[in-house]
Amino acid sequence: MIAKTFRKELKELWRDGRARISFSIIILLLGTAVWVSANRFTNTNKQYEEALTSERTLWDNQGEKNPHSAAHFGTYAFKPKYPLSLIDQGVDKYAGTSIFLEAHNRNEAQFSAAADQTGLARFGELTPDFVLLFMVPLLIILLGYNTFTKEREMGTLTLLKSQGLSSFKWLAGKWLALFIPIFLLTAVVFAVAGVVLSGLEDFGEFSWSSLLLMFLIYTGYYIVFINLVMFISSRVKRSGVSLVISLSVWILACLAAPKAASNIAESEHPYPTRQEFAAMITKDKKEGLDGHNPWSKEAKILEEKVLKEYGVDSLHQLPFNFDAYRMQKGEEFEAEVYFKHYNYLKQQFKEQSNTYRSLAVISPFLPTRFMSMSVAHTDYTTHWDFADAAENYRILTQKFLNDNFAQNSALGEWGYQADASFWKELPAFEYNPPELAEVIDQNRGNSVILFAWLLGSFIILGVSSKRI
Amino acid sequence: MLKYNFIYELKVLLRSRWLQLLCLVLVLLFGFAAFNGQQKIDQRQTVINQAIAEVDASDVTMAALLDSVSQGLPVSVPRWTIPNSPMAVGNYYPRVAAMQPQELAFIATGQSDMYTSYVKPKVSGDDFALNFTEMTSPVQLLFGSFDLAFVIVYLLPLLIIAFSYNILSSEKESGSLRLLVAQPISIRRWMLQKLALRFFWLSLLVIISLVAVLLVLGIDFTTNLTAFFSLLGLTLAYMLFWFVLAFVVNLSVGSSARNAVSMLGLWVVLVLLLPSALNQIGNTAYPIPSRTLMINEMRAKKTEVAERQDQILDNFLRDHPEYAINDTTQARSFYHRYMASQRLIREELAPIVDAFESQLTSQQDLVGKFKWLSPALTTQEALNRLAGTSTTDYEGFRKQVVGFAAEWREHFMPMLYNNQDFSKEDIAALPSFNYREGRSRVGIAVLALLLISIGLHAFGWIYSTSQEKTKGIIAA
Repeated sequence: MIAKTFRKELKELWRDGRARISFSIIILLLGTAVWVSANRFTNTNKQYEEALTSERTLWDNQGEKNPHSAAHFGTYAFKPKYPLSLIDQGVDKYAGTSIFLEAHNRNEAQFSAAADQTGLARFGELTPDFVLLFMVPLLIILLGYNTFTKEREMGTLTLLKSQGLSSFKWLAGKWLALFIPIFLLTAVVFAVAGVVLSGLEDFGEFSWSSLLLMFLIYTGYYIVFINLVMFISSRVKRSGVSLVISLSVWILACLAAPKAASNIAESEHPYPTRQEFAAMITKDKKEGLDGHNPWSKEAKILEEKVLKEYGVDSLHQLPFNFDAYRMQKGEEFEAEVYFKHYNYLKQQFKEQSNTYRSLAVISPFLPTRFMSMSVAHTDYTTHWDFADAAENYRILTQKFLNDNFAQNSALGEWGYQADASFWKELPAFEYNPPELAEVIDQNRGNSVILFAWLLGSFIILGVSSKRI
Repeated sequence: MLKYNFIYELKVLLRSRWLQLLCLVLVLLFGFAAFNGQQKIDQRQTVINQAIAEVDASDVTMAALLDSVSQGLPVSVPRWTIPNSPMAVGNYYPRVAAMQPQELAFIATGQSDMYTSYVKPKVSGDDFALNFTEMTSPVQLLFGSFDLAFVIVYLLPLLIIAFSYNILSSEKESGSLRLLVAQPISIRRWMLQKLALRFFWLSLLVIISLVAVLLVLGIDFTTNLTAFFSLLGLTLAYMLFWFVLAFVVNLSVGSSARNAVSMLGLWVVLVLLLPSALNQIGNTAYPIPSRTLMINEMRAKKTEVAERQDQILDNFLRDHPEYAINDTTQARSFYHRYMASQRLIREELAPIVDAFESQLTSQQDLVGKFKWLSPALTTQEALNRLAGTSTTDYEGFRKQVVGFAAEWREHFMPMLYNNQDFSKEDIAALPSFNYREGRSRVGIAVLALLLISIGLHAFGWIYSTSQEKTKGIIAA
């Protein structure tokens, strides 16, 4: 019976021009989206490589220079792109791509792509994640809104009932007829993406298991939609009404809920404005050691402490340049200030994430969106991770430069210049995104919610189908 | 006949509880959206006011410090921040260049979550260092904001679709169509009346619930009534477009479900697909150069300039003999060399920066030309303009700030090169920033929407006439 229903439903779908057209539209959209993204992807990667090498060349060829001047000249950390960002661009467009690493200051990532685009960018982009997250559920609605209502409208429901068929088998057949095409479509898309991605050269490690995980997430998301659409179809009398209700659910889940969630998250756990944030940091910095200011109270305290520690009575007797030493201590203090304030920011971000998670109860879209970005390394958490790694590298660089200054010069010798070959000794900045296991661990909350959606939607569908 | 139709329609709508439901939904949607919008505006306003208050406070400190210095008293601030040096004032006592929210800013978040509403330009650093982006979680930027513009552009059409997809088809499906065609009124006229009545009711509800929500939330919309009426005009014109679309679809397609599918398909295309496709085309046709490569060029230029600072200063002074003449001390410090070099860097980097701007302008022009394809896009754009939060507004703000930054710099240049001290009397003469709002030009958008609606209506009318001749309305 399951097989028969399945075959009949599939045949019907295939004969219906509507299904064929919408299927082809989705495939066309996905094709375009992948093509466009792949182009942009290789382009960005090329620019990234170029930027990386030319940046390092600039740094290495500074010539003879005071290490602190070099620290002010600074370096850049560029954010790499990862293979799966081809499928889900996540927040990449809105997060900056490069961080300037200099003495005394921690800088934010600059130059987000969205800031360099017209207001249209805010409507969304034709990317694979747009099609996968928004369009495919729409396709599900289009294919499934009338699975039960059509039986009522054509009067076949009474006929079917008189056959004495098991409602479970009937349901299973219909469910499979909806699920299998969608499943195949998704599977083909991911398989093609996998082949394309593993075939392309130089772009970080591509992992099949991440891709598979992503595929599972989307499959789960589609199953929830299939269940919901079939549930609605089983509860209402007319196809039109079923369609309109399913669509309202789609709008609520995919468009309204994320926006509402973002408003709620922001009003509950707001970020400071850029200017406020900078002002708070400046205030804290003023209260501590400034490496450039030997006359401040904190500088005097440090002086006494160091003199005592080395058992000497003048700074000239120290085995290193105290100016550079103070510079390093100032740097460490500033790093602490930044650490404190960025931790506050991170705290706000975590609270916001919790708000999103709790609102995921009203929308299966939210957990899917977050998990998909996370696996693709295009989520905000990865961005934070990158920014933190860059900050650690900045602190290391400052120490590297100040140490050289302290050991190779005497007190007050501001004219000291390090060798031209010295710059090459600075290790290059390397960033590795979180491993898959870590990503899974971070997303436990989201996966539980998606699973609850799966379970819940199966239950209401099962219960409701008995009462048709 | 119109009278009967009117009474019948009202009764149907009331008894089916459609009007009550719509009213509730509209109040809820508008309420939540307007509340969110207002919250953002309040926050923006508070932050700007705070910044201005801070500058006022620091001006008082500056005056006190200048007094102490002129009397030869010791001061407790690091010596490079003592405001008797013009460069210290330029760097440590900057002015606020703020973009005050406009009266109707609450209707559309637009780009206001992405760009900052005020900056404080300093004399050192360059214009690229002025960061105009706001510190917002990128997740929020990705999801966007639940504002009135979202309700109007995305959700109202869906309400209209749900409200009107089955006007003719339901008559057909319930069998009353045959009765209807027997009446002394043509089907098209009947449907037109019916849709016009629904348009009337929905418009009334939209206006009433919007005004009610604004009154309850205490949002002031009366100071700029022209703008408020523009908002209403725009909303009604956009709604009219969707009703006309419903008219055409109702006339040309068959069953209720098919109508719903067609209208939703059109919604997806006009609201979601066309804007994103247009964005893609804009990006492909006028790609923005790489920012990372720009950084490298900038740094290479800076390194090169740093090596010949002295020479640059000499050249600069040669070009500006007035500085060399007026100053008797001829003392040259770090800032003399620095400011001259910065000027050179700015001039030499101008082509690189212009490349970004010209590409963005080209994209904007492209969008401007094709936005008429999608009434949703037209409406969104017009709403953003009305709220003063569109890309154009922020671009205007940015340009004004860059202009102001130059004015600020130039204000101190003579003092620096003449080696003049900054005195208390100079405080009053410091330049200040005043944001000039762009014009919103909503009229064109409304007119365009009306024209599109009329054109569509005419098309529907002609199409259905030809259909009727061949098939007849009952069979169709």
